[in-house]
Amino acid sequence: MESTRAETGASERPGVSASAGLPKALPAVDKRDPSATKQEAIFSLTGVQVAYGGIPAVEDVTFDLVKNEITAFIGPSGCGKSTLLRCLNRMNDLIPSASVSGKVLYHDQDLYAPDIDPVQVRKRIGMVFQKPNPFPKSIYENIAFGPRVLGMKGDMDEIVETALRKGALWDEVKDRLKTNAFGMSGGQQQRLCIARALATDPDVLLMDEPCSALDPISTGRIEDLMLELREEVSIVIVTHNMQQAARVSDMTAFFMVELDEGEKHRTGRMVEYDQTEQIFTNPSNSQTEEYVTGKVG
Amino acid sequence: MPDSVRVQYQETLRELEERTLGGLDLVVTQLDRTVEAVEQQDIELAEWVLGDDDRIDGRYLEIHQSILSLLARQAPVAGDLRLIAALLHTIKHIERMGDQCVNVAKLLPLAGHEPPRHPELLGKLVQMGRLARAEVIQSKQAFAMRNVALAEDLVKQDREINRLNREIFRGAIDIGDDPDVREWAMTVTMMARAFERIGDNAVDVGEQVAFVVSGLFREFTDSSTPPEPPA
Amino acid sequence: MAVAETEITRKVVERASSGARTKDLLFRASLLLCLFVAVLFLGVLIVDVAIDGVPLITPDFLTNFPSRLFPEDSGIRPALIGTLYLMLLCAAFIVPIGVAAAVYLEEYADPNRWYNRLIEVNIQNLASVPSVVYGILGLAFIVRGPIDIWGLGEGSPTLLAGALTLGLLVLPVVIIVSREAIRAVPPSIREGSLALGATKWQTIWKMVLPGSVAGIATGVILALSRAIGETAPLILVGAIAFRLTDPTIDGQFSALPIAIFQAAGEPRPEFQILAAGAIVVLLAVLLLMNSVAIFLRNRYEQKW
Repeated sequence: MESTRAETGASERPGVSASAGLPKALPAVDKRDPSATKQEAIFSLTGVQVAYGGIPAVEDVTFDLVKNEITAFIGPSGCGKSTLLRCLNRMNDLIPSASVSGKVLYHDQDLYAPDIDPVQVRKRIGMVFQKPNPFPKSIYENIAFGPRVLGMKGDMDEIVETALRKGALWDEVKDRLKTNAFGMSGGQQQRLCIARALATDPDVLLMDEPCSALDPISTGRIEDLMLELREEVSIVIVTHNMQQAARVSDMTAFFMVELDEGEKHRTGRMVEYDQTEQIFTNPSNSQTEEYVTGKVG
Repeated sequence: MPDSVRVQYQETLRELEERTLGGLDLVVTQLDRTVEAVEQQDIELAEWVLGDDDRIDGRYLEIHQSILSLLARQAPVAGDLRLIAALLHTIKHIERMGDQCVNVAKLLPLAGHEPPRHPELLGKLVQMGRLARAEVIQSKQAFAMRNVALAEDLVKQDREINRLNREIFRGAIDIGDDPDVREWAMTVTMMARAFERIGDNAVDVGEQVAFVVSGLFREFTDSSTPPEPPA
Repeated sequence: MAVAETEITRKVVERASSGARTKDLLFRASLLLCLFVAVLFLGVLIVDVAIDGVPLITPDFLTNFPSRLFPEDSGIRPALIGTLYLMLLCAAFIVPIGVAAAVYLEEYADPNRWYNRLIEVNIQNLASVPSVVYGILGLAFIVRGPIDIWGLGEGSPTLLAGALTLGLLVLPVVIIVSREAIRAVPPSIREGSLALGATKWQTIWKMVLPGSVAGIATGVILALSRAIGETAPLILVGAIAFRLTDPTIDGQFSALPIAIFQAAGEPRPEFQILAAGAIVVLLAVLLLMNSVAIFLRNRYEQKW
């Protein structure tokens, strides 16, 4: 699995003193080599906080997500990575007690501005869930659902075929498009869900632990698919599987969870965000080091 | 239970480091014997050194296998990964240091049973051996304590060995016309070179210390750049 | 040694099982007895009715109007047609209103609001209110009173009024069953739909409701099966037994339960027997409806 991106190489980090102990929790800083060509940011988050019923679930998130890359969110349970993911396509709107503060810019537009239609947001930012959730309809109808409700113009047969091809499923199902989606295996169902999300022609795909319910072979196929899709679509994946994050992602963001003073509520925050290679060979933050080497979480 | 798997893994890692650094102790023992054999012209001791190198080679194979196993089964990352890479390099340096001791021990019978012709040259050789021994011990300490300053100091120590090596070489050139003496002097230069190589290997171990700590690998001294004038 | 052990083990096992087996048998026997008693009464009733009623079922019986004078010419035509109309109107009333209420309660209502909780609690209560009370309700508010449908002043005991009254009676059942069916649709389906950019309404209309249709249909049919046999509300609302023309929506109406009630109260035995015929017809319609419900449920049930 060769990366075709130009690597910025082992960046020289001046002034890392070996004997000075690193502080416990550094503010999260964008660690990419500034001399590399500036890649376009597709999402730009500043001071984002998500709270349920007034209690913050994740707070103080500031970073840029880069276009046409795979970004992984890792961290222990409860650190808010799924919550943050759902902010990116306004799925948190569906939870009445949820409130989002801070700035979320998508292509330099404020995603939460009052005049922004969440339906249009979700057309352009697709989502795949942990447990495959195909509709109880035929494969064709599953794919066609999104384009139909959004009123997309064009030949539906073509749209369905394109989506299934992108989802690496066409050859397997082209002869049984009208059969019920529930008849497929778990791995196929998840690829169907990916194809379904791609049918609305999004430029971002959000994936919330997409492989955690699948066997290793299906997982491998979906990881291959992600790498193919990267050319057209920016991908953000939340994963508990660190090997997966290490294999597949270009950038990794590590989140940690803290108890508040009263020891009652858990709040997550982003601790480090860097190239995946750095996170897994030489993370700057000791909390990141402890988590990825398995000493904690 | 996942907890105990994790704890076992940390244990294994620690043991691996101990065994590797223990290899440095084996080298020190071999060096002691080698230096004494050279001083005392003790052929039997030299033979012992030859035989005992198997222990170092055995240690190398053991560590090598353990590292492969750990990589395959535990997929270490970050600090653990750097440590394992450093241990792999270090055990190779240890094996090389052991081989250099063997080289010196092999050369001893060639130097003949006669008493040494030039106590000055011999003295410098023995001094080189002792300095090499000190460097190996220091490299072990630096690694065990993750002390980069101590590791970098090895460069300074090594300059001394290098200086003695050059002096021995010059001394051998000027030793005179007697072919027996000249032959003896040649073996002494070769032994000196072996000790000098041991010193270099110790410095290399020091570089691994810096890598483990900082994640950056750089050579303390580059052989292509001219040596600095003595401080 | 081993042989002796197995001997002992076997004896112990046997002893244990023989005690347990007896208890088991007794338990099963008593369960069967209860079932038998319940079925016995029902069976006796049906058999008795069938013996009397089945011979009466002739095409004439079904198409003739009732007669006070000639039992052999008496028929249940208006009652039968009345019942059918009642069911149709009732269905037309309960389906949209019941399903809409269920959709509101399941999809839109915030369960933390006090008024929604109040509605929750009361729907269950409404389902258990005696049918005669609904009859009085219908009489007071639909036939007479503020919702005097045809504005006749003295009240209008019309077919429509009867249908509405029955509708109110079974509406809570429809709401409850529809809610169950809607709730059975997993949240992941809704999330999937919304994540694709569908609005909440599109999700409900295109995903949730189609997925719960089987459950709702079954519920509606079961509700109608209950409504079809209710007599008290119809009496109060003013159904009549003798109608000599086909019923219309805005006219006085008859229904099978009324015909049965009337016939059973006849002093003359030759007219009394007509009740049996009507009962058989009613049971046949009921059986048909329940069979359709079971068929629908088995065929279209959605397994998530």
